Amino acid sequence: MDNKINIKVNINGDDYSLEVEPNTLLLDLLRNKLGLTGTKLACGTGECGACTVIMDGLTVNSCLVLAAEVDGKNITTIEGLSKNGELHPLQESFIEEGAVQCGFCTPGMILSSKALLDKNPNPTDEEIKIAISGNLCRCTGYKKILKAIRSAAQKMAC
Amino acid sequence: MLKRINKFEYFAPSTLAEAISLLAEYKGKAKLYAGGTDVLVQMKQRKITPEYIIDIKNVPELNGITYSPEGELRIGALVTHRQFAISKNVPEKFTMLKEASLAVGSVQTRNRGTIVGNICTSSPAADTPPALLALDAGLKLVSSTGERTVKICDFFTGPFKNILKDTEILTEILIPDLPENSGGIYLWHSKITEEDETLVGVGVVVSVDNLQNKVCKQARIGLGSVAPAPMRAVKTEDFLKGKILDEDTIGQAAEIAANESLPRSRAEYRKEMVKVQTKRALSQALKRIEG
Ligand SMILES: Cc1cc2nc3c(=O)[nH]c(=O)nc-3n(C[C@H](O)[C@H](O)[C@H](O)COP(=O)(O)OP(=O)(O)OC[C@H]3O[C@@H](n4cnc5c(N)ncnc54)[C@H](O)[C@@H]3O)c2cc1C
Ligand code: FES
Ligand code: FES
Repeated sequence: MDNKINIKVNINGDDYSLEVEPNTLLLDLLRNKLGLTGTKLACGTGECGACTVIMDGLTVNSCLVLAAEVDGKNITTIEGLSKNGELHPLQESFIEEGAVQCGFCTPGMILSSKALLDKNPNPTDEEIKIAISGNLCRCTGYKKILKAIRSAAQKMAC
Repeated sequence: MLKRINKFEYFAPSTLAEAISLLAEYKGKAKLYAGGTDVLVQMKQRKITPEYIIDIKNVPELNGITYSPEGELRIGALVTHRQFAISKNVPEKFTMLKEASLAVGSVQTRNRGTIVGNICTSSPAADTPPALLALDAGLKLVSSTGERTVKICDFFTGPFKNILKDTEILTEILIPDLPENSGGIYLWHSKITEEDETLVGVGVVVSVDNLQNKVCKQARIGLGSVAPAPMRAVKTEDFLKGKILDEDTIGQAAEIAANESLPRSRAEYRKEMVKVQTKRALSQALKRIEG
């Protein structure tokens, strides 16, 4: 039964033509086939946000997306944020504010923040909290994450 | 939790006719797939192991939110919670359904999950059904042998059960216009877990004769998470009809709603919360009529 599927997808600005199994998840495609291991697997059921990527401008949990579905889409993973060796302001602020401890939630947290700031450069704290409500962090207690996002928003406004 | 899913054949039809004929061909072995936020979780849990997945996201007929001159709101099967919540095509009188969509999961889940998928999973705890029950939504079901439109109050038959046949696609939700002087709201609160599943959800639409006398012409109340399936609080609705909606009447109505709810687990607490939320919802819906 298993019909291989050909997809064309743009990931972090690069075009890929790939052959995938129907039951391959986007998360597995990124991590296992393409070696983009910045995207993390934790719960596997859409609850924690560790596997968050941005697909056509919107955050999705890649553990709940089939690779077969991403034909024609643009995907940004954490690897796509730094440009020419320069960190993205969000990455910088997360480091500066101590918003990273074990780091497992960080890629997803940063991508949810990026999707927010791309649409809303000057969010309120409430808007930030809603944007990251699908990203669970077991280490930091969120305060430093909030601070980091606020500070990145300021940097990006300048 | 299993992280892998079973092998299956994947179809992504590009017309409704094609989707319907695939469904007829692989009857019983195929699963329709929209945002996948329920399907993939159920596959990971091995609750379902479909041989065929029919991804309907490329079917253009299933897109879109439209508001007709007759006051009817049509929501296509592919409309996600996010699309609905930010849509400019939704008049203010239907804001309560936006509130229900925003109660679903987190941003990532709302970016993928559809309102129609939420209905079709038919979880007793789902957030949009109570609002849709109060709005008296119609559901259009289409198969290779014809189509029918049913009211949402006749759709759910038990926990995760409904009247949908394995050859049918729910193509759109049809919400009729509200009478003049109507107000609606969806209120809920959740268990604090990683999923924040709704513990009690109450959707209310009330219509009054006029704003001065506040005589209830009609009330519709949808309850979620307090019965084997999303339910209408019909006894409460009957009680309210023709009454002046003062504090006393609203208090009594809330008691009736609590009594007619049928929660299984944490029954006492849930009933109490039906009372609290119904009272709040009725008062706030009334305020919304006043504007
Ligand atoms: C982490 C997490 C949190 C969640 N929190 C909430 C919450 O707070 N409240 C809530 O209500 N829900 C919640 N959900 C559930 C879920 O997101 C919703 O039920 C969602 O709306 C389902 O839509 P979907 O498009 O993803 O459906 P899918 O998973 O694609 O499909 C769901 C079901 O509907 C069927 N189906 C889909 N489209 C059609 C159609 N057009 N015709 C016939 N059948 C169809 C499918 O075959 C399947 O049985 C949560 C889910 C996750 C993963
Ligand atoms: S691993 Fe995908 S949401 Fe947790
Ligand atoms: S830093 Fe460890 S989970 Fe967030």
